[in-house]
Order: sequence, then structure tokens, then C-alpha cells
Amino acid sequence: MFEKILTKARMLSPWVLHFDCGSCNGCDIEVLACLTPVYDLERFGIINTGNPMHADIFLVTGTVNHRNKQVLRNLYDQIPEPKVVVALGACGLTGGVFREAYNVVGGVDKVIPVDVYVPGCPAKPEAIIDGVVLGLEKFRQKASAMHS
Amino acid sequence: MTGHVLMMIVAGLVAGPLLGGLIAGFDRILTARFQSRIGPPLLQPFYDVIKLFGKEKQVVNVWQAFCANAYLTAASISLVLFFLRSDLLLILFIQAVGAVFLVVGAFSSTSPYSQAGAHRELLQILCYEPLLIFIAVGIYLHTGSFKIEAVYALKQPLLLKLPFLFLVLNFVLTIKLRKSPFDLSTSHHAHQELVKGLLTDYSGPILALTEIAHWYETVLVLGFCSLFWTTNPLGAILLVGITYFVEIWIDNVSARMNWRWMLGYGWAMGITLSLVNLVWLYVR
Amino acid sequence: MQTITFMLILLPFLGALSCYAIRSAPVRSFIVLSTGCILITCSLLLISYVPFTFSPETVFGLDVHGLIQIPDFILMFAILYYGIKHRSILVIIPAALQIILVIWFEVFMIADHPTTQAFYCDNLSLIMVLIISIVGSIICFQAIPYMKNHEEHLHPATSRQPRFFFVMLFFLGVMNGLVLSNDMTVIHFFFEATTLCSFLLIGHDGTEIAVRNSVRALWMNSIGCLAFIVSLIMIYRNIGSIDMQQVIRTPAGAGLSFLSLSLLCFACFVKSAQFPMQSWLVGAMVAPTPVSALLHSSTMVKVGVYLALRLAPAMQGSFLSPCIAIFGAFTFLAGAALALGQSNGKKVLAYSTISNLGLIFACAGLNTPESMTAAVLLIIFHAVIKAMLFLCVGTIEQHIESRDIEDMRGLYAKMPLTALITVMGVVMMIMPPFGLLLGKWMAMEAAAGNIFVIILAAVGSALTAMYWARWAGTLMSDPFAGIFHLEKQPALTWGALLSLCTGAGILSIAVPWIYRGLFTAAMNLNYAPPYSLKNGILENAYGVFAVLPLCLIAVLGFLQSIWAVRGATQARICPPYLSGIHTAEPRVFLGPMNKLIKAEAGNYYLSNIFGERKLTVWINLAAGMLLTLIVGGAL
Repeated sequence: MFEKILTKARMLSPWVLHFDCGSCNGCDIEVLACLTPVYDLERFGIINTGNPMHADIFLVTGTVNHRNKQVLRNLYDQIPEPKVVVALGACGLTGGVFREAYNVVGGVDKVIPVDVYVPGCPAKPEAIIDGVVLGLEKFRQKASAMHS
Repeated sequence: MTGHVLMMIVAGLVAGPLLGGLIAGFDRILTARFQSRIGPPLLQPFYDVIKLFGKEKQVVNVWQAFCANAYLTAASISLVLFFLRSDLLLILFIQAVGAVFLVVGAFSSTSPYSQAGAHRELLQILCYEPLLIFIAVGIYLHTGSFKIEAVYALKQPLLLKLPFLFLVLNFVLTIKLRKSPFDLSTSHHAHQELVKGLLTDYSGPILALTEIAHWYETVLVLGFCSLFWTTNPLGAILLVGITYFVEIWIDNVSARMNWRWMLGYGWAMGITLSLVNLVWLYVR
Repeated sequence: MQTITFMLILLPFLGALSCYAIRSAPVRSFIVLSTGCILITCSLLLISYVPFTFSPETVFGLDVHGLIQIPDFILMFAILYYGIKHRSILVIIPAALQIILVIWFEVFMIADHPTTQAFYCDNLSLIMVLIISIVGSIICFQAIPYMKNHEEHLHPATSRQPRFFFVMLFFLGVMNGLVLSNDMTVIHFFFEATTLCSFLLIGHDGTEIAVRNSVRALWMNSIGCLAFIVSLIMIYRNIGSIDMQQVIRTPAGAGLSFLSLSLLCFACFVKSAQFPMQSWLVGAMVAPTPVSALLHSSTMVKVGVYLALRLAPAMQGSFLSPCIAIFGAFTFLAGAALALGQSNGKKVLAYSTISNLGLIFACAGLNTPESMTAAVLLIIFHAVIKAMLFLCVGTIEQHIESRDIEDMRGLYAKMPLTALITVMGVVMMIMPPFGLLLGKWMAMEAAAGNIFVIILAAVGSALTAMYWARWAGTLMSDPFAGIFHLEKQPALTWGALLSLCTGAGILSIAVPWIYRGLFTAAMNLNYAPPYSLKNGILENAYGVFAVLPLCLIAVLGFLQSIWAVRGATQARICPPYLSGIHTAEPRVFLGPMNKLIKAEAGNYYLSNIFGERKLTVWINLAAGMLLTLIVGGAL
């Protein structure tokens, strides 16, 4: 019974931490666009927290490089379990057009485990929302795994 | 008699989270509508808190757990005392205990965001604490007692005798509800220069406790508000409703101010208004 | 009863002399410990005799009055000598004037000494005796390891400890004498003796700044003593008596002139370091910490408020009373404001002491049964808790070699128990259900009828909460996992800190009984018990404070929170949020070029608003004006 309520509450209240590893800001603008009245993410209980301690979903955009890979790792570690990582945009997925650069590590999944990949350059708001909703399914699985 | 006391204790304990959560949900919907959005469901604050309880327990410093618990305990006792129609000053002091513990908990983290948030919260306490005491004194001067009981015994609404003190209470309400322009230490909105201020390093179940304690406090200050119209329950509801609506409106139309402005303006306006009202009561 | 009274007064003198004479550390420790223990026992034995009054014809075959006269002159000449030695004209003038006045008074005015009761003890005196004997002795015990450490640190050529303990023990006797005496000339003698003790102890370290501050304390207090003797002469001329009980039975205006009372109040203000005479107490913080704990927080500065409370019945209904209330409330606010602007821990304590004493004066001035109860509670709890906080700061200072609050950041990681006791002290200063807050609450309800007092008190109370909370938070600030390694401290230090801490806690629970005890034996004239007491709930027509239920809830809440801490020790310890660039080291982040940078987050001291330099002038000006009003209005 309580388990059921908890699962429901979890699905209805995903708080997002958005981290930009060094993208061109195209994806970031689209992420912020989701909060605007047109898309109104808060309808789904989604809040952009800006603080790993409060987050459930880690939304990462941009190419990971040698400088920021530790930051990415640290933020990931500070998010309490259960948590889901969503990588956004071409750069977040693979390193994008920068992947051959000398300082680039590659996609987000080179550093932390990624659950959902959202392609696009930049990713469209609809795609981002879709990605987060997909992430929620993963979130539920992880949560039930954590309890059992 | 004992039965009545027990009932009131239970009522206070239950009303805090229940009413407080609903008010918070209502607040979020209304705020969204102000911004031409649809907003979350009414029960969203409950979902948030339940989810937080299900998160992994993670602390920066074990004393955070102590402080969050103490905050919740103090906040709930102050509301219960309000329901028991006890001494106003006593309620204020106990409510201040909770506020201070929340701050000490934030201090226990070395993160500059928590520290700055904690200091701002202290400044907020500094700003509103005397004003609340003035309101209690105003009530004393009018009713001859600090007990809330005496307010309910009045034949005429308190608002007519303490109009300026009611304005002062609204001022306090804005600070206490963490609304702009006084959401200095933390707020529900994106708050990037301070991350989440005072609450930055509270997480998971411990954050949930502070959230519930905040609901208790919300109900308490709105309860104070209702004291200004005790002759008729409908009047009380209407007064609280209008006040809260105005609070949200202020929140949406104003930017965040700095603490110097808050302290200067708060004390200058608050003390002047209180003084005028108190002197009027005193002379009469 | 007579024996106990004499023991309380004379035994410390004996102990003091033997401390001075026998220059061996273990013997000295033994003397201090045994004197303290006997004092504590005697003071507890005294409880069953209260109230009493008696006047021995002779002590060891000597007339009591004559017994005091000789040391009185020695004392005044000693002060004069120190004035000349330090070439301070400010000390010499009042000291010389005083000698002249005392000679004139003793020789020409009261040639044949009027009959007075030499000793008088009611509940107020008893409370003072208990504070002096118990808290004072505990502080002296803690001074043993403290001074040993202190001298190891300073390396004086010859040990000054004999002199130190001589003055400390001597002081205990003087204080007991002061609060048990009823003859005002005797009170004046002891009043002056405390000034000399304070002077000697402030200058104990002999550094330039210590000497300078001690001389300042001497001249300010000499002026206070001068005001005392002038007022004494006037009182004698007015009513022909120097019996304290007779004086307070004479209402002000009827026989007793306002000026004499206001001068006496002025003497009290100086002794309690009220504005604008606060600088001597702030300067006195250079003394070793046990001195600050004993003289400058828990006992000597309480003499002023004690005398004010004594005199309160005489002032009832006169204009002096509300004036003192406003003056006290102003000091409460001003002291709190200055404490807020301080980062020096001892100075915060000093200003907070001034501020609390102001509140007690305000209570004395309000002069209602409620405010008198509040004042007594404030005296008790302030003495215990402030002494404890001073001892904590002393212990901390010897460990980290700083008394700055910023340096105490994360102290919990280094000295967990001391830090916890300090935090506990802070909590007891500002939170219900502890006694100090109860006193403040009673004071506020009693003050609610007086708009000026309540506004000053309300703002002051908020400032107080802020500077204490900031300090407590700073002490606990560090990432911490929950396993602590107890720091090493001498047994006497632990004993002193823990006994004061638990004592304050138990006293808070015992408030209903203290209250009952206070009023059963008719604490004072004209004051009826203001509260009804049922089930440990204090209640009157306009307020209710549920002492015992609140204590119960507080204990339960505390246990529950401790339980939560236990739970949290199993939780994942996570570094504080530092924008994701934190390192393993707390407070250090990885900056540009992979350099390690320390994140600094200092406390707000708001020194632009509440700084000593900014505020002191204005506060002194305002307080000076208020004082002029009080004394001038009496003319």
C-alpha cells in the first residue's frame, strides 16, 4: 500500500538538475524553454532545482572534457538514490562535432551511467519532455530494485 | 475538559501538514496561473514530500538530522499551542526555536551557499521577530491579555482596532512564507545565485521534515492572521483568503530585494506602524 | 545561623590568606577546593534559616562597626595609593574625596552609631549567597587547572598564582558580606572592596593593556563608590538611619529624597557596567577567563542589580521607577546591538552580560510582582549559564589560542564535548523552556503596559537571538560523520563545565519550586505572588507559561532528535554542495589551473551598522542623556 503511494509520488514529482558540460547553449535554451508557459513542465511536478542534493533526474547537455568530467562525477555522486541520468543533444550523447578535439573525453556515458539518450542538435523541447518521461519509467524500475 | 484538550492537540498536529500542504498546492497553482501556466496538481506538495521520504538518506553533517527534527518539533508544538489558545508570546518564542534550529542546521554545512542562506535567514528572523512581538503587545493592550482565548472572547473584530498592526502582520507574512521581495534565504523558485540557500545541503527525508515544518509555520502565521476577525468564521476565512491572495500577487509582481533594504524598510515601516497603532490603543 | 553567616564571610578570607602564605601548588589547590566545598555546604545549610536578621554585639570581642571602619580606611587608602602609583588623576580625585567624605560622615555625623541590624537575609540575599558560594566556588575550582596552563603559556618570572587565588577567595568573602549586610556603611565597604578585587584581577597579567584597563575599571568604579557615599550621607540626613530595611520601607519622596536614590542607582549602574560606563567591563576581558566568569558575569556585576532590586520597594510609584525601566531596556537593546557587531567571543559575552543586566534593571524599574519574579529568575540563570559560557570560552581559548568566533568554526570536530556544552549554553540563553527565556518572557509580559520598554525589549530580544544562533551555528560547522573522539581536559575543568550545564538544566525544570520558594517567605515588601501555580504551569490573568509540560516536551523532542542523529550516522555522508568542484578536503575546491582554493564564508557581523566604533558614541550619548534625566529629574 505504502509502496504504491510512494511509487506514484515518485512518478509525479521528478526534480531535475540541469548541468551543462560545455555545450553551445542550444540545448540549454531548449531545456529552459520547457519551463515557459508554452510547455509548462511544472504540470508534471517537474522542478528545475539547480542543486544535486534535491534532484532525482540529472539532465546533462554538452561535451564532456577533461576539465569537467570530475565535476560531472561529483554532481552525480551528490544526487541521492534513486536517480536517473538523461543525456541531451548530439554533444551529450557522443561528444558531437567536438569529439575529435584534443581535450574532449566524449559523451556523458564515458563518465557516468546514462539511462536515457535524447538526440538532436539541439534537442527539441518535446523530445526533452519525452526523454524525461522515459526516464521516469527507468526511475520506477530503479526505485523498486532499490527496495528489493 | 481533558478530552477537549486532547482533541485540540490532535487537531493541531493534523491540521498543520494537511492544511499547510493544501495551501502550498493552491499557492503553486495560483502562481502558475499568474504566469499564464497551468501549474501542478493540487496535491503536488504531498507528492513531493512523500517522494523525499523515499529517497536515500544522505547527510552533510549528522547534526542536520537533529536540527531538522527539532525544527519540526518546535513548529508543531507552536501550532498545537495556538489550537489550545495559549499564550501568544510563548507561541512566538517556541516558533523562534524552530527557526533558529533550521539556521543552525544550515550552518553545520561548510558550503558557502548554506552559510549565506543561514545568515540571510537570521536577518529575516531579526526583521520579523520584533514585529510579531508588537502584534502580541497590541493584542494585549486591546484585550488585556496575551492569551488567544481573550481574542475569541471579543465582540468586535480585532482588525478594526489594530488596522496598522494587521499591515505589519502582512509584512511578516511575506517574510515567513518566503515570498518576494523577501525570499532572501531560500524559496520555491529557481534561485540560482544562492542555489537553494539555507536548504541547499538538506536532502531526502531530512528535507521532507523541513518542508512539513514549514507547512506548520504557514498555518500558524495564517492563524495569527485569522485572529484579526474572530467574530465570524466566514469573515476569518475571507480575511485569510484575501490576505493570502495578496501575498501571492506581491510575490509575482516584485523582485527580490537585499537584506539591507529588508531590514531598513521592515524596521522603519514596521516599527512606525506598530508605534502609531500601539500609541493609539494606549491613549484611548 | 550566626556561625554559618560568619563562616560564609570569614572563611574565604582565611583561605585567601593561607593561599597567599603557603606557596606550594598542591597545598593551594587543596585550600581552594576545601574552602569551596565548605562554602557550598554552608550556603546550602543557610536555606533552612531564611529569612533572618541579627546583630551581634561583638565579633571576637570587637564591635562590628569598628571592625569594619579600620579596613574601610585601609581600603580607601589602598585605592588612593594605586591611583598615585598609576598616576591616574581620575582615580585620585574620587578616592581622596571619598576619604574626606567618609571621615566627615563617620566622625562628625554619626558619632554615636545608630542601632542597626547588622545582618539581614531574605530570599533575595539567599539567592545571591547561593550563586556566589556555589557558582563562585565552581569557577575557583576550574581556575586551578586554568591558571596552571595560563602560567605555562606566559612564563612569568615568579608565579603570580598565590596572589591570584588570594584575591579570588577574598572576593568570595567580600561578596557574601555584601549581600548579607544590612548596615549601609558596611555595604559601602564591601562595595568598594569588590572594586579593588576587580582592579587587582584585571591587571593580573601585568601587560600594558591589562594595566590600562584595570586603571580604567578603578576610576569608573571609584566614581560609583563616591556616588554611593554621597547618597548614603543624604539618606542619613533625610531619615537618620543607615539600616537598609528602614530605608526601603520609606517611600521615595516621603522623607527620602529622590536625589539620594538616583545617586545610589547611579552607583548600581556603574557597578553593573551599564551604558555609558560599559567600557570598563569590556576592557576587563583582558583578565584570565575565570576572573571574567566570576567577577564580570556571574557575581560582582550582579551587585548593581541586586541593590536595585533591594531599593525597588522604596521607588514604587515614584517617577524614578519608570525611568530606570526605560534606561534598563535601552541598555538591553544597545548591549545586544554591540554584541551583534562583535566577532571576539569574550566581547560578545561581555556585551551580552551588559545587555542582560539592563533587562534586570528594566525589571527592577517596572516594579511589579511579575517583573520582580522575572528579575530574580534572570539573575539566577544568567549567573549559571554565563559563568559556564565564559569557562567554555576560556577552555577553547587555551586550546585553539584564539577567542575569535571565526576561529571556532568547526570546533566540534576538534573539541566535541566543549563545543557541545557551549552550544547547550547558547540554547539555554535563548530558548524555552529554559529559565532565562522564561525570565525574559515574564519581563516582556510585565513590560507590555509600557510602550517604550516593550519596544526596546522586543528589538533587543531579536538581536540577542541572532548573535547567539550565529555563534552556535559556527561551532557546529563542519562536515561530520558522527564518531567523536573526546578531547583531553583536566577533571576539574570537566567537572566545572558539566556541573554548571546540568545545574542550569535542572534549575530550569525546578522553576515552579523556585518560584514557590521565592514567595512563601514573602520575598519582599509590597509584592504578592503574581502567578498561580498548578501542575507546574505558571499562570496569571494575562499570560500562561507551562513550565513542566514544556520541559517534558522539550526532553521528548530532544530524545527524538538524538534518535534521528543516531539514524543519520548510518546515512551516506556527502560533501557539502560546492558547485561540483569540491575536493576531499572540506571547504576546499578545485579552482582554475587545478589549484586548490579555500572557500571562505565568514559570518555577517554587520559592523557597518552594529560595529563598536560606529555605535558606541551614539549609544553613550543617548545613555548619558537618559542618565542625566534620571539624576537631573531627581533634583
